[in-house]
Amino acid sequence: MNELLSAILLLSTPLLPIVLAFPPLRSHLFRPCHIALFPAIILLAVPSVVSIELPWLLFGSGFDIDGVSRWLLAMSVVIWAAAATLLPSTGNQAADNRLTIFFLLTMAGNLGVILAADVVGFFTFSALTGYGFYGLLVAGGGETARRAGRIYLGFMIVADLLLFEALLIAASSTTDMRFEAVRLAVTGSPSSSLYVSLVLAGFALKAGIWPFHSWLPLAFRSTPPAVALLVSGVPLAMGLLGMVRWLPLGDIALPGIGLIIQFVGVAGILYAIAAGVKRTQLQLLPAYGAMIATGFFVVALGTWLADPVAWNQYGKSSYFFIVSLGFGIVVVVAAIAWLQASHHAPAAHEKQEDDSGLWIERRAGAVVRWGKRVGCDTLPGLRATWRAMADPLLQIHAWQKALDVTEYSLQRWMLAISLFLLLAVTVVFLAG
Amino acid sequence: MNWNAGLPLLIVATSLFSGLMIFFLSEKHVVARTTLNLGGAMLKLVLVGVMVWGVFHGHHYEARLPLLPGLDLVLRADAESMLFVVLSSGLWLLTTNYAIGYLEGSPHRSRFFGFFSLCVMATVGVALAGNLITFVFFYELLTLTTYPLIVHRETEVARRAGRTYLIYTITGGALLLVGTVWLYSMTGTLDFSHRGFVTELLDTHRTSLIVVFVLLIAGLGVKAALVPLHGWLPQAMVAPAPVSALLHAVAVVKAGAFGIVRVVDDVYGVEATTKLGVSAPLAALAAVSIIYGSLRALFQDDLKRRLAFSTVSQVSYIVLGIAIIGPIATTGGLVHLVHQGVMKITLFFCAGNLAETLGIHKVSEMNGVGRRMPWTMAAFTIGALGMIGVPPLAGFISKWYLGVGALDAGQEWVIYILAGSSLLNAGYFLPILYAAWFKPAPDSWPDERSFGRLETSWALLAPPVVTAVLTLAVGLLASAPFSPLRWARFITALEYIP
Repeated sequence: MNELLSAILLLSTPLLPIVLAFPPLRSHLFRPCHIALFPAIILLAVPSVVSIELPWLLFGSGFDIDGVSRWLLAMSVVIWAAAATLLPSTGNQAADNRLTIFFLLTMAGNLGVILAADVVGFFTFSALTGYGFYGLLVAGGGETARRAGRIYLGFMIVADLLLFEALLIAASSTTDMRFEAVRLAVTGSPSSSLYVSLVLAGFALKAGIWPFHSWLPLAFRSTPPAVALLVSGVPLAMGLLGMVRWLPLGDIALPGIGLIIQFVGVAGILYAIAAGVKRTQLQLLPAYGAMIATGFFVVALGTWLADPVAWNQYGKSSYFFIVSLGFGIVVVVAAIAWLQASHHAPAAHEKQEDDSGLWIERRAGAVVRWGKRVGCDTLPGLRATWRAMADPLLQIHAWQKALDVTEYSLQRWMLAISLFLLLAVTVVFLAG
Repeated sequence: MNWNAGLPLLIVATSLFSGLMIFFLSEKHVVARTTLNLGGAMLKLVLVGVMVWGVFHGHHYEARLPLLPGLDLVLRADAESMLFVVLSSGLWLLTTNYAIGYLEGSPHRSRFFGFFSLCVMATVGVALAGNLITFVFFYELLTLTTYPLIVHRETEVARRAGRTYLIYTITGGALLLVGTVWLYSMTGTLDFSHRGFVTELLDTHRTSLIVVFVLLIAGLGVKAALVPLHGWLPQAMVAPAPVSALLHAVAVVKAGAFGIVRVVDDVYGVEATTKLGVSAPLAALAAVSIIYGSLRALFQDDLKRRLAFSTVSQVSYIVLGIAIIGPIATTGGLVHLVHQGVMKITLFFCAGNLAETLGIHKVSEMNGVGRRMPWTMAAFTIGALGMIGVPPLAGFISKWYLGVGALDAGQEWVIYILAGSSLLNAGYFLPILYAAWFKPAPDSWPDERSFGRLETSWALLAPPVVTAVLTLAVGLLASAPFSPLRWARFITALEYIP
């Protein structure tokens, strides 16, 4: 009986938010976004390890919760409860409705990611989280929010492709898609380096780790506190969790990749410090704080990839780091929201900020522009020649027209070509 | 004639009789026509259900009618045919329901629904064909019965599209017939067999077998819309939305793709196809079609034209899966036969709803339409995300099997095709979703009709919602008993396991 109840709780944790995303099913509920968290809260109170296998789901999937994922679930529940409390009402019912739908879908994806027992389930829920979160980002409607959303969506699509390729590599080595089985299978696979690289790049894109961070400050700046809270709790934590769960850490030594990852981590930290110091806007503090923290995580990840023994000794701490990061940013964002409210500061979103970037970014941009100018103007008329050659090639409509004309011509000649082909075939047939 | 021989005939006859009877009804006999339409569709579905149950329990259904000395018209139920029969009869019921609502009050409905039923009769005949000559017979019948549907509106554009369709398909049919006759002259049989029936001729008739393979694929490639034989498909989108659904998801392109499956698996067999070296060019042709179709779709403003080019791309996944030659990729190709049908019919139903309710025909007119028609656009969103391959929707399952199958067969290049195609799919579907859900709606729509509290009529709304749920269900429950994936794996086991 207890097992059945636990299984129902495991299933309903991601399922209830999806069900409540349908407006007619929540229209008479008081605080549906809070109610959606109930199964997760009860699940937290279940002391034992609970798991459920669903052989009919996808390629055979399942959910489980153990000591580590219970902490992650607790963090998520706190973040989602706080975000649900702060969820703004615009007074426009349609807009609020849209925001709530995306909020609940993202919640379902996020909770599902934590409870997924296999890579396919994780991937599925991470896709749901991603698309839902995109909706949350742009639901505000401002230009900065849309820009953040566009960048995030682009990164997410590429990330999903990379992770899909990684999954294919794993699936070509094993039919068992549970985390442990996949880690074991790719450890012995000749494509292990490729798998690790794809997973790292995929989740770095999803989490907004440097140098794929450009949407992160925009998201913090343009969204209300409820969504800003989720930026840290959802894509960031999900990306880091994905790396830890998908990578064969402790089983494989990849010193080359480890070194590169450490370098990326250090560069990310330095960049975030430099950029954070330059920015004066209070809302951006958690963005750069999160980048610094993830930078340290990436350095540690590089170390674990280079030295499996280090993972076996300190690997467990990675989960607590993710939990602490989530809680930490909740506190910071909540404090900033409180400060702004108590000091009647201007609205967080859409405030003007100097977007010119760091000194080094501006210099790099100037060098590129200079290179283009000089490169094209070295010889008199070279730029004009380039432009004359390139412009027709870049005109999409011209290409479209050319293809339409080709298809139309082909259609006119279809009969003649086919008759000729038939004649040729008949000749060959008779000759044979 | 016993039950096992009668059932395949009965399944074909249900739509033949309902179609013929509808022709004799006048326009005002709406109730009788609707009863015949839905009754025929439901009876067929019940009979197909009985047949599926029987095939699963080892019953053998076969009907033979003499055609020529030594050649019979054969209708036979096997695992492969069941996949296509279930798809076409299931989606036909939904499309009929949709068409009744779509054409309400418009002229020539008896003519339309008569040919509509005959078209499905031909499709089921294609699916149940037990040999190549039966296949060709119903394949040509399909051409003749779909032509009146394409020109149904009787406009100049429709007539032109119809002419183009006839030129393409009759030429393709001729090539197919020549290939079939040539093959018969070499083998003396045309009966489909799980391992093919040409293996013994590999040493003696190698060149002839290659030429015949090219002829058969060229003939079938026209309906399957393989590039460069796809020109009729984007033009045929002038037809009413239910016809587009029929062309793209239920009948015509599926008949072409299914024919290619039959040729590779049951005429040549995977062994002979590999030994003749024709699988690699076929895979390359499919890959070109996948990328070309997606690239062309990317820049189409006309919604149905965009969906048409998307079909060119998506149907080629089926051919690619078959041409990779391997059990996992073949499973991917076969399951996409069903998955593409369910996803694409959802999109065409939604496009029809937008056109009929708001007069929207172009992507550029879709700003904010999600708020005006949330159920339709929710269904469209699921269909589009499925096409991109977002998990856990139907397209994800297909792409997974194609990708793993390609790696299993040592053809890594396919992964890049899948990745490129997914990116392009996202490129031409996501802007539509963004415009529909996030851009502000205009003050007025091009040609709005009111349906009271509903966003559109029930007859138009229910089918896309049902197929959207199916798109989710066949992906999410991929490993459940009787799922398309399980059935495709069952078929593949027959082809590959000795």
